[in-house]
Amino acid sequence: MWQEFVKQFITRKGYVNVLNGLAITVEIAILGLLIGIVIGTLIAIVRVMPKYKLLPRVLDKICGCYVELFRGTPMVVQLLIGYWVLLPALDVQVNSGVPVAVIVFGLNSGAYVSEIMRGGINSVDPGQMEAGRAVGLSYATTMMKIVVPQAVKNILPTLGNEFIVLIKETSVVSFIAVTDLYKSFKQLGDPTYNYTVPYLMLALTYLVMVLLISAGVRALETKLKKSEK
Amino acid sequence: MEKEMALNDVVLSIRGLKKQFGNLEVLHGIDLDIIDGEQIAIIGPSGCGKSTFLRCINCMEDPSAGTIIFDGENLADMKVDINVHRQKIGMVFQQFNLFNNLTVLENITLAPITVAKKKISRFDRKGLAQIKKDAEEKAYALLRRIGLEEKANVYPSTLSGGQKQRIAIVRALAMDPKVILFDEPTSALDPEMVGEVLDLMRSLADEGMTMVIVTHEMGFAREAADRILFIDEGVIKEEGTPAEVFDNPQHPRLKDFLSKVL
Repeated sequence: MWQEFVKQFITRKGYVNVLNGLAITVEIAILGLLIGIVIGTLIAIVRVMPKYKLLPRVLDKICGCYVELFRGTPMVVQLLIGYWVLLPALDVQVNSGVPVAVIVFGLNSGAYVSEIMRGGINSVDPGQMEAGRAVGLSYATTMMKIVVPQAVKNILPTLGNEFIVLIKETSVVSFIAVTDLYKSFKQLGDPTYNYTVPYLMLALTYLVMVLLISAGVRALETKLKKSEK
Repeated sequence: MEKEMALNDVVLSIRGLKKQFGNLEVLHGIDLDIIDGEQIAIIGPSGCGKSTFLRCINCMEDPSAGTIIFDGENLADMKVDINVHRQKIGMVFQQFNLFNNLTVLENITLAPITVAKKKISRFDRKGLAQIKKDAEEKAYALLRRIGLEEKANVYPSTLSGGQKQRIAIVRALAMDPKVILFDEPTSALDPEMVGEVLDLMRSLADEGMTMVIVTHEMGFAREAADRILFIDEGVIKEEGTPAEVFDNPQHPRLKDFLSKVL
């Protein structure tokens, strides 16, 4: 069993495949999270904005629908719709499902990040916004230079968690024909139909990645805390 | 008196200012002219609306009715670009509200740099560098004045309350305001730090900075202010020089208030 795996992995150069799969998994998770942070921050700002005028109220409703839509349907379904419904409908040709996966993961995590970020923004002392406005800075400037940086620091552990969730969830991208980490390990077992070692190794790889991310987030947190001392 | 001379010495002219929170009206119509170079202390019992009044002056709370004329414009008008005017109306808070994510120097230079940048092209790198240099020079000069030059590059979390509040005052000064509003600037301080903040405010007063101060420090109000306003139940119940208000109070509510705080 083990020898079979070694044979597939080393002698038949299965590791090249696995490394490619790993790269794709990481790429989708990282780009997805970055897009998610941008979208999530924008949505969060819209949602905490004062609602005196019509425009913020309309935007708030739209963002609310967006969040409910992406939180209310499974990621796999969103991927399937993106790849098999929207691409043909928009008549877009792609060589691989990776860009679709990145966009869908970005949109999906944007919905989750917006809620995390909203909590983060609300956790910042309202006096910070007041002080910014009192020296004549606009709402947007104060938000971006004062409130959001403090909010991000407050939510960093939760954001790390979102990254972990995201990297694990990428294991469904094979639904749209992307060879990610899961698919590349599966292919190692395909010739013999013996998946014991490949799947255990797959689990181990995810575990190691998640542990590394956790350690990274903790280190970043400590560094940020220190930087304001 | 020289201060009642000319109308164009009026920095801020407030008429019929009302403020409602829901159905509760906390300010019932306040008139006040703030004259260039004078120091006004606002006193009154808790919940009387004195802080709300102060916060209405620069529209941190939007007034429900009335006018606030500053620089020829009515700040209470929602169409006025309030940000431009707030640059010339400094504000100092009870809780200091220094920007926690910025160093002391950045706290002071953020607004001057942001405002100056708007006036030049984004691609004018030389101009941008000059703006930053000017703002930092000025910030250092202000920090030197309060003896905190060595704190320029630390974050606010490392400072004492008194240091924070003095830096908050300097942050307001960096914009060259025409008037500074103080919202109970010493109420959140440990007793031993009240003095250093009041000393700084006194020296500003001596230089002729126009100041409106909501305070519980009666001793300071008496000695540093030109005019005392006693606000109670959402109106100015009595106003006058410190001597008039403290030594010869007329209104029974003021007499009652002073008997409790003096």
